[in-house]
Amino acid sequence: MIKIIGACMIIASTTGAGMFISRQFSERPKQLRQLRSALQSLEAEIMYGLTPVKEAASRLSGQLPKPLSLFFEKLAVKLSEEEEAVTLQSAWKESLEAFWQQTALQKNEKEIMYQFGATLGKHDSENERKQIRLALAHLEREENEARNAQSKYEKMAKSLGLLAGLLIVLLLL
Amino acid sequence: MNEVIRLLPKTVKECIQKLPEHKKDLIEEIRLRVQRPIELLIEGSPYTLNNQVIFSAQEARELIDRLSEFSLYTLEEELRRGYVTIKGGHRVGLAGRVITQKGQVKMIRDISSFNIRIAHQQIGAAVPLIPYLYNRGRWLSTLVIGAPQTGKTTMLRDLARLISQGVRNRQIFSRKVGIVDERSEIAGCVKGIPQNELGHRVDVLDACPKAEGMMMMIRSMSPEVLIVDEIGRKEDAEALQEALNAGISVIATVHGSSLDDLIKRPTLKSLLEGCIFQRFVELTRDKRAGRIRRVLNENGKSIRLIGEAT
Repeated sequence: MIKIIGACMIIASTTGAGMFISRQFSERPKQLRQLRSALQSLEAEIMYGLTPVKEAASRLSGQLPKPLSLFFEKLAVKLSEEEEAVTLQSAWKESLEAFWQQTALQKNEKEIMYQFGATLGKHDSENERKQIRLALAHLEREENEARNAQSKYEKMAKSLGLLAGLLIVLLLL
Repeated sequence: MNEVIRLLPKTVKECIQKLPEHKKDLIEEIRLRVQRPIELLIEGSPYTLNNQVIFSAQEARELIDRLSEFSLYTLEEELRRGYVTIKGGHRVGLAGRVITQKGQVKMIRDISSFNIRIAHQQIGAAVPLIPYLYNRGRWLSTLVIGAPQTGKTTMLRDLARLISQGVRNRQIFSRKVGIVDERSEIAGCVKGIPQNELGHRVDVLDACPKAEGMMMMIRSMSPEVLIVDEIGRKEDAEALQEALNAGISVIATVHGSSLDDLIKRPTLKSLLEGCIFQRFVELTRDKRAGRIRRVLNENGKSIRLIGEAT
């Protein structure tokens, strides 16, 4: 009896792990797409509304779905602090750092966002637009890659979890 | 004043806060130049703060960051014109390296000088003019003439306030006022909202070219009195004529020392010949700005000032 319960537990846990990994594969392209649409909204705010970053960020935080809205919310809060040392760049970096853990996003896109943040608010709108376009292009490439990885590995990770559990159980029986 | 102090970098802020209270209220300009000490203009005379405190390039960047709320693109238009109007109607003039495109100024980069002009609205400056400019229930079209720094804009701003609020004790009712504020000086708008006290019945077209703005105002806002700053181009004359035909009074300013002086200027000739203006006010500056020298009627005849010795 105990054996069966143990076996079930092992299978359940490895399946869970497999599900978790496969979720990472399916979440990443989704979040990348959201990130791109966020940057597109930012572009619209900058180009047509000439909205300051702070206001744009608080507006975006209301529009976007959950993990991403946290980033812009944090950014808006940091920028409205009346402190001496706050710069857009430092606030961007800190918010990015804090929010990154809650996403399925990876190092490549983090690098892209860092680089984009370094130029934000430093140029006229024409140049801002170019920078946003550049970041968008990079993100699109990452998204395609993520999609490929998703189609390749998502199902595999799931079944691998279950099969690994079965294997362990069979070995231990 | 607080709106200005909030923007300043820490070192500058501390220096200014050390000044005695009565001096602080009299500050007219704060001039910051990269790698130079801070200069203040108090009651028209320069005043150098602590020579040890040097305004650094880093602080200049901080200041511009704060002026633009970390978003330089919001200041594109301002960087082309060379000044930024901030909350409270104060104005920050900028100088530095200018970038041109096709022969036109595109923006100022590497900003190295800031001139923060503290706005002091002089409420009541135009009260002595009321008996000359108001006649039988309407405000007369008026041209305010003065050299730079004689308080033309101050006078204009106060007239706008008087007209929109009305003058209770003279039984002058309030009127709708339209201001075409090409240089954002009359109303001192931030995001389209006037920062100066102008009464309730004022509509402002901020940063709008004058001739076009006057036509827009006439067509869309039906003002009873139209107020513009620094007229002088040919298109302006046409727009003014249009306003008069629509029965709107126009109050405008122009650079010059006197009416006789203006008649010599070819661009202004058509403006003056059309009998557009019914009153001319000449301003001079002695100890302080805004002294009224003469008020002339439409024929260029002087109307005596009340209380003036004959």
